[in-house]
Amino acid sequence: MGLDYQLVLWNKHKKTYDKIIVLSMLLYIVLFAVITIAFNSETSIETLVIRAFGSLAIIMLHIILAIGPLSRLNSNFLPILYNRRHLGVSMFIAALIHGGFSMFQFHALGDVNPVYSVFTSNMDYGSLTNFPFQVLGFLALLILFIMASTSHDFFLANLSAKVWKRLHMMVYFAYALIIAHVFLGAFQQETSPFTIGIMIIGFLVVASLHLITAFKERKTDRVKTEEKEGWLTVCNISEIQEDRAKIFTVDNERVAIFKYDGKLSAIHNVCKHQGGPLGEGKIIDGCVTCPWHGYQYLPSNGQSPPPFTEKVTTYELKLDEETVYINPKAFEEGTEVKPCKI
Amino acid sequence: MKKNDEFYVPYIDGSLGSKTKKTLKRFTFIAIVVIVIGALIFSFAQKPFKNSTFELTSATKITGTYHENPYPMLRVEVADNTFKNILLLGFGKSSANPFLEKLHSEVKNLNGKTLNIEGNLIYYNGKTLIQITDDEKVTLKNKKTSLALQKELISKMTLQGEIIDPKCYFGVMKPGKGKIHRSCAVRCISGGIPPVLATTDNNNISQYYLLTDLKGNPINKDVLSYIGKPSEITGIVEKMEDWYIMKIDADDIKIISENSSIY
Repeated sequence: MGLDYQLVLWNKHKKTYDKIIVLSMLLYIVLFAVITIAFNSETSIETLVIRAFGSLAIIMLHIILAIGPLSRLNSNFLPILYNRRHLGVSMFIAALIHGGFSMFQFHALGDVNPVYSVFTSNMDYGSLTNFPFQVLGFLALLILFIMASTSHDFFLANLSAKVWKRLHMMVYFAYALIIAHVFLGAFQQETSPFTIGIMIIGFLVVASLHLITAFKERKTDRVKTEEKEGWLTVCNISEIQEDRAKIFTVDNERVAIFKYDGKLSAIHNVCKHQGGPLGEGKIIDGCVTCPWHGYQYLPSNGQSPPPFTEKVTTYELKLDEETVYINPKAFEEGTEVKPCKI
Repeated sequence: MKKNDEFYVPYIDGSLGSKTKKTLKRFTFIAIVVIVIGALIFSFAQKPFKNSTFELTSATKITGTYHENPYPMLRVEVADNTFKNILLLGFGKSSANPFLEKLHSEVKNLNGKTLNIEGNLIYYNGKTLIQITDDEKVTLKNKKTSLALQKELISKMTLQGEIIDPKCYFGVMKPGKGKIHRSCAVRCISGGIPPVLATTDNNNISQYYLLTDLKGNPINKDVLSYIGKPSEITGIVEKMEDWYIMKIDADDIKIISENSSIY
């Protein structure tokens, strides 16, 4: 958490993370270049750059898309999620080099503006095999640019977490555009079953991980419950671990019910920072701590401890013998609710 | 979600537990393996590039007889009584004409005049082209007019092939043909670079035809929608020493359903 905005709030883990990103990218580029020059030496430097950075960006995008569901399935992956935006910006840089070189190579130094040329040099929009695939890549790059340029807490705070999250969910649209860009472009001419195969495997891995996560979370959302005088049955108290939470869905909103210091408190499950699942977090120093970036909230009022100002909605709980009940009506963000004593 | 007792908080030193560290190491290892496998697959799977050449960083001075039939060329004697017609091109995706304007203003008819031209050579498969980047590098060597170039009528022919831009195809880009390159070829030909029909026979021998309209004039704009697509073209073929010229009606070009290929 930070009060003011800096370009990057460096720490030891971020530095290690970034070193691994840079070295891996260099490893890919060097390997690609050395193999191409050694075994296909008639290549041109521009083609080498376009292909090396384009294929690198696609591989990185698959890794980025796998991190989200992996972290939802196993909390051990969370430190990778924590600094994922650095990986995203690095992937955008690789994609920009690919797109920039391609635009210069194929569309610049001509009789019209290069951007206009991207959209008009091939007008076969009605044909699948002749489709102007470069348009798809251009649009994907535009989305990645918007995402990379807003990958900072300044934009997160000013756009609001909801808008920011929606904006960054566009990565899936960009992914679809990129898949179409490759299959309607490069793979029309470079028809190796190995390259096509690796792309299909990549897609299947990403899609499977997302589906597994979605099915698992759907189970949580569809837990049947009983209503008793306006209160909903949540669970037996023994099902909630100390300093941890149970996620329960009320009126299509997920609520995190925490057990700590002989008390129970319920707050909205969605972190105001990046929409992280607070119910997968932990009570540290008396505060609910988000598993994604460590943002904190007081369990009794859903407010970040001063001087921070984030607030989430709160809920009322009651305990009848060993059964936990929740009042489905949410209080205003930051409303103090007396914790339920165990 | 699979939880453990460990809980990583970025700003708390020592919160990275041993189980989490192990997972991170495994993930990093797998990611690097994916990177290496990806590099191997994407680099080894590339189709072979042709041995065309573009001498971007070195300039060559050539001397020969200028002619426009209808595209600017320089007829250069490469050995005793052996001539090569070098296609003249401009910088980027433009024709040579802007770079010849200055000389045109000084000498009304350049046809048959001997010129010195310094530029970047492009060559492949017996054909040579030169890129002119500076009009100062085009000079008149001899005002005397040489005999007009003779063209020999071959016949009316129907050929299958792909319309390419010769600048990229003969060396500037690899690949310089096919779908990936189509937009670039459209820009080049739209910018004045002569359209060329490239054909390949069953023995993989390629032949090249400079395309003009039926009157022998440049045909750049009319062929834009056919560029980079396998096509069948009917026209009158003439031989001009080491080049063929094909006079066509653009409306008669038929797109055929064969797959476009790089080479």
